[in-house]
Amino acid sequence: MKRRTIGIVDYGVGNLASVWRALHNMGYRCRISSERDVLSETDLLLLPGVGAFPAAMQALHACNLVTYLQEQARSGRPIVGICLGMQLLADTSEELQTTAGLGLIPGQVQAIRQARWHIGWNSMEVLGDDDMLRPSDGQSLYFNHSYVFEAPEPYRAAVARLDGQGEPFTIAVRRNNLVGLQFHPEKSQAAGRTLLGNVIEGLCRA
Amino acid sequence: MLKKRLIGVVTVKDGWAVQSFGYRRYLPLGRPEVLIENLDRWGADEVVLQCIDRTRQGQGPDFALLERVARKGLSTPLIYAGGIASVDDGVAVIKAGADRICLDALLHDTPASARLLAERLGAQALIAALPLSVEAKGLRWLDYRNGQQQPLSDAVTALLREGVLSEALVIDWRNEGTPGAFDARLLDQFPVADVPLLAFGGLSEPGQLRDTLQRERVVAAAVGNFLSYREHAVRLYKQELGGLPLRAPAVERTFPTPT
Repeated sequence: MKRRTIGIVDYGVGNLASVWRALHNMGYRCRISSERDVLSETDLLLLPGVGAFPAAMQALHACNLVTYLQEQARSGRPIVGICLGMQLLADTSEELQTTAGLGLIPGQVQAIRQARWHIGWNSMEVLGDDDMLRPSDGQSLYFNHSYVFEAPEPYRAAVARLDGQGEPFTIAVRRNNLVGLQFHPEKSQAAGRTLLGNVIEGLCRA
Repeated sequence: MLKKRLIGVVTVKDGWAVQSFGYRRYLPLGRPEVLIENLDRWGADEVVLQCIDRTRQGQGPDFALLERVARKGLSTPLIYAGGIASVDDGVAVIKAGADRICLDALLHDTPASARLLAERLGAQALIAALPLSVEAKGLRWLDYRNGQQQPLSDAVTALLREGVLSEALVIDWRNEGTPGAFDARLLDQFPVADVPLLAFGGLSEPGQLRDTLQRERVVAAAVGNFLSYREHAVRLYKQELGGLPLRAPAVERTFPTPT
């Protein structure tokens, strides 16, 4: 069977090498690029991201990738956003200032209410019966963020809590061919890579 | 539920991983990337790579080492410390493969740079690395370059209070490398409330680790030399710390193969 090729969107933000190596070790071909022609030849687009939302959106605009990503999403191409890359899928963010996102999944990015940060390993509570995420229900994954994607219920795919009985907050979103993961699957050891593999395969087969 | 973390620390001097004893005496351990790979395989919750001579020698971050570490394809979050003297240094270290960075000398020299770093990387990526000791006049912060000690500066206190730095790595530099010697007063006397603390230096015994991790403010315990004394030390420590909110010890590492 043909090996799938993942297009890692390079807009000058974050640690692309870690994502590339994780996917490579999982057996995928990867293309790191900001070129539309290169990205368009891949099976799935992966939008990584580390840092602040406004700088990331500015970088996407500077690379002329905003319209491209919106068109690709609407055409049904599978897209996975990781950490800040997940938040970029939202309508807007309140990080530092109000900034428009890609507007691909309804919702706003807001400061996490329960604490200043969500750093470390936390358990994932999968909502619904999504085949891609369900096997990872209860697994511990690595988080490193201070803003959360406040998505309406239909798009919320998984939540986490700071303590056992605490208020849940969104850590995964899905809208058809689009998936956002707030945690770092590439840095979540076996649990993260299993989940990432399931998401990639699930989206590519859908 | 958010777990507390057991962090593995690899100390590097002159390009080699070393056992450090109070940052005064060193014994060679081997290639840093190999030790880090072990911690990754054994299921550490995070790994700190601290290159302790880069600032002193004016060499900046060790990008060659970061490249060698990146080539290992770690699946564990990496925190880098050493030689970060500017915003550009910090951004470049993240691009080179680190997930978070520790700031030490920069907090003495140009603490305002931390705000610019937070704008670029997010506060969650920034950790204050604070070598501390309890002296007759109270808690003192060491500038390891000149040996001078002073109270934690107003600038650093403000950065912590305002959330420009997400966590503080409380380093017991006097007791670092001495089994069971960590001075818990460093945690109790830490002057800024509500800052998550990572404890490091002389933490080795399960009972002491348990006592440390049970403190509400402590979100992680970092262990250096003592993880190098036995295979799968992380898993064994976690088994000994049963009942604490730690991530379950890793059993094996298997990755799916795409079909």
